[in-house]
Amino acid sequence: MPNNMLRLVALLIGLLLLGTSIDGLAHGVDDNTRVFLEENEGVQFIPFIYIGAKHMFTGYDHILFLVGVIFFLYRSRDVLLYVSMFTLGHSVTLLWGVLGDIQVNPYLIDAIIGFSVVYKGFDNLGGLKRLLGKQPSTKVAVLIFGLFHGFGLATKLQEFELASDGLVANMIAFNIGVELGQFMALAFIVIAINFWRKSASFQRFTTITNTMLMSAGLMLVGLQLSGYYLS
Amino acid sequence: MTPHEVSTKTLLKSTIAATVIALIVFVCFILPAEYNIDPTHIGHKLGLTALAHHNDEATPQAETAVMQEQAQQAQQVIEVTVPAGKGIEYKFQMAQHEKMTYEWLTDGEPLYFDLHGEPEGDTTGYFESYAIATLSEMRGSFTSPFNGSHGWYWKNNTTQPVAIQLIVAGQYKVIGLKQ
Repeated sequence: MPNNMLRLVALLIGLLLLGTSIDGLAHGVDDNTRVFLEENEGVQFIPFIYIGAKHMFTGYDHILFLVGVIFFLYRSRDVLLYVSMFTLGHSVTLLWGVLGDIQVNPYLIDAIIGFSVVYKGFDNLGGLKRLLGKQPSTKVAVLIFGLFHGFGLATKLQEFELASDGLVANMIAFNIGVELGQFMALAFIVIAINFWRKSASFQRFTTITNTMLMSAGLMLVGLQLSGYYLS
Repeated sequence: MTPHEVSTKTLLKSTIAATVIALIVFVCFILPAEYNIDPTHIGHKLGLTALAHHNDEATPQAETAVMQEQAQQAQQVIEVTVPAGKGIEYKFQMAQHEKMTYEWLTDGEPLYFDLHGEPEGDTTGYFESYAIATLSEMRGSFTSPFNGSHGWYWKNNTTQPVAIQLIVAGQYKVIGLKQ
């Protein structure tokens, strides 16, 4: 069904443009947000929800990983289960990282997040099963990578000296925002993928899609590692 | 969950293709645009390296060149980055009794700094400090007590590069970074 394919491609390009037109993407927060965070004092619940949602919705590293995760999840119960594992993972480390003041290098953590995309693309092609002889648990992988994604989110907030006044409430607000942003992004992804699965092209393009995921993940790894070595 | 299993040959082909595409995009586009590193010169031809100059992480040298051309303006915004564990000095040429008002801030990280002046032609290493502290932002003004170079020394003791936004106005000529 070439018509469906066209619509899907248009949707993907639209999403891509939406992502690239917003400043301060996968690494860091844009200047307006920066000014806000620096001048912030006390509890700012709604603004922090917004920052969290915006970061997740425009953070293509998180989105790519989620695309990989739900690529082969046909049932909504599975989608819910896997996304919950991911949410559990990144909530734990986001809160722990900021509240416990855990210092992780943002470039290294973002490189690991890039690697999680490569891992998922490779796994989706049955690569790990072939390489290791048996399929490593996909649920555990999502949970573990979720923990790393959470540290990545934490480093974004740690770039600023957040006032300790109202920090816990602000952090919880940020986390709620992250989940909202993830939910919005997922709505798009799940609809697009479910729609695409109905067409024959899904099977035909499975290999290519996951190859592209791997490739995009490798680019993220390269981008972040070079940032690490050059900074 | 029904993982998609492809033949070993397809798997190999996919992995190699993913790596090759990633490498090409990385070397030709990402490195030039993000870090101004352009081994193939393709980034320069496409104008991508210009992006790196406006980046937060652009090298101080590149920014200084631009800044020197726009000396003596009503108000000037200068951005410098202090590399992790290093100190930088940013200076202005000012004659005696010339005035400058200034404001600078980091992204929240406090930095040790020394606002000082060195007399023109002095070879003894003498300098006079106007302010020494560890702060993440400061604003103020000063009148040059002698003809010479005046400006800031910032020391970054953290493991992350720290960006500083410096806004100056008054009578001065930008000398720029001294390392």
